[in-house]
Amino acid sequence: MRSRYFLLLKFRYKMIHTFNYKDKYYIYDSGSGSLHECDKLTCEYVKAKYEKSCQMPVISKEKAEEIEKDLNGLKEQGLLFKEEVNVSPIKSSNIKALCLHICHDCNLRCRYCFADEGAYHSEREFMSEQTAKKAIDFLIANSGNRNVLEVDFFGGEPLMCLQTIKNVVAYARGKAEKSGKKFLFTTTTNALLLDDDAIDFFNREMENVVLSLDGRKEVHDAIRKTKNGKGSFDAVIGNIKKFVKSRGDKSYYVRGTFTAKNTDFSNDVIFLAESGFDSISMEPVVTDIDDLAIKESHLPEICNEYENLCEKYLEKYENGKGFNFFHFNIDLDGGVCLQKKVSACGAGNEYFSVVPNGDIYPCHQFAGDKDFLMGNVYEGKLNDGIRNNFASASLFTREDCGDCFAKFICSGGCAANNYHFEGDINKPYKITCEMMKKRIECGMHVLARKKELK
Amino acid sequence: MIKTIAKPQDKKITGCGECRSTCQSACKTSCTVGNQSCERISRENNPEKQGK
Repeated sequence: MRSRYFLLLKFRYKMIHTFNYKDKYYIYDSGSGSLHECDKLTCEYVKAKYEKSCQMPVISKEKAEEIEKDLNGLKEQGLLFKEEVNVSPIKSSNIKALCLHICHDCNLRCRYCFADEGAYHSEREFMSEQTAKKAIDFLIANSGNRNVLEVDFFGGEPLMCLQTIKNVVAYARGKAEKSGKKFLFTTTTNALLLDDDAIDFFNREMENVVLSLDGRKEVHDAIRKTKNGKGSFDAVIGNIKKFVKSRGDKSYYVRGTFTAKNTDFSNDVIFLAESGFDSISMEPVVTDIDDLAIKESHLPEICNEYENLCEKYLEKYENGKGFNFFHFNIDLDGGVCLQKKVSACGAGNEYFSVVPNGDIYPCHQFAGDKDFLMGNVYEGKLNDGIRNNFASASLFTREDCGDCFAKFICSGGCAANNYHFEGDINKPYKITCEMMKKRIECGMHVLARKKELK
Repeated sequence: MIKTIAKPQDKKITGCGECRSTCQSACKTSCTVGNQSCERISRENNPEKQGK
């Protein structure tokens, strides 16, 4: 096995990335995290001379000197060709967050569900209140000096056991008061049972709510069906609208999934925006179902579709009808520190999922895989071997990320996706990498245009 | 002509670990650190909302 020192050395790059979005040209400096805009000739010159990825354009001596002068000025300010810093990932034995699989059952039967339509390839079951409370105790006991703790109620469909959630939240609030902790709760729901009582409870207690809605009725209904095989769009859209109207300035996301069947997903995002939702996420499906899975052959049209989305998104923004699209929210001026950027997602080390019988897994996407069973909340211990494996996974252990411009923004991707598609949590899944890189370029373009319009 | 669009601000505090778990966001499949905020700065800017 290569030493980590070797890997750290490998990352000491000075990397730039040039790209364009239609007639706008950009240079991104990976070492400093700076983004610059330039003209086409400058972009082509930099691409040819420093990225060595195209032919040198025809350019006068004077223009080349002018470009070099600009580049040197930025270099002196530490904004270009800056050596990438090799910092250590954040190491802590504290647990920050739990995903509570409050039930492994669902009132929908969505074909693409990674969780086997709610059952996670096992019995359909609900988490008992006792187990959920034990999970809260486990989180508090293992949170060390961390004050803010996060719990995500996940399923299956969590609203199938709303009373358990209410009781667990009340229990956690009481425990938090005594232990000096603060809980932030999230629920991910399909909104089928989102009635007035649930809305009222969510608005009081949930820091964030994620509502599943795939976009246009025909797109949503093609996949997200009830047990009787009927599309669920009409049953959920009113509930989600009512919830969002009541939400005020509290956080929520209407979250869609796109598949190989709707690679024109920009229409779904815009449909959601025009339905009155101003906080939207649209994610590529995670499945191996042949007619739904995103394959390499889909990448050109998907990347093109992100550009279409970018254009429509900016048009809305310019017309005063802007909305928040999760993947275009790249914050290059602020954001998290470098240590966080190299620390990967935290699954299996500071974030775990707990299934109905109290078993603990690195995250929701590993739930039920016995190779990744880490313990049980009733035992209160975690498998050190698995935890160390995840804790030591960082940007620096993902060698394929070394020469990728996006690494300090993406942090090496989803460990579960890496494992399920490439067989190794440290081996980035190429298809998601390509989509990620395109989204990041679009996010950078959005950032530039918004600043221009201010 | 090259125009700087964005450059990271110097961080007063780094590596404190107070940041939120990356996976606790909207997507649960393709989360990135690029759209996360520093919790310490967020709390300083908006202590009431962040429950300080």
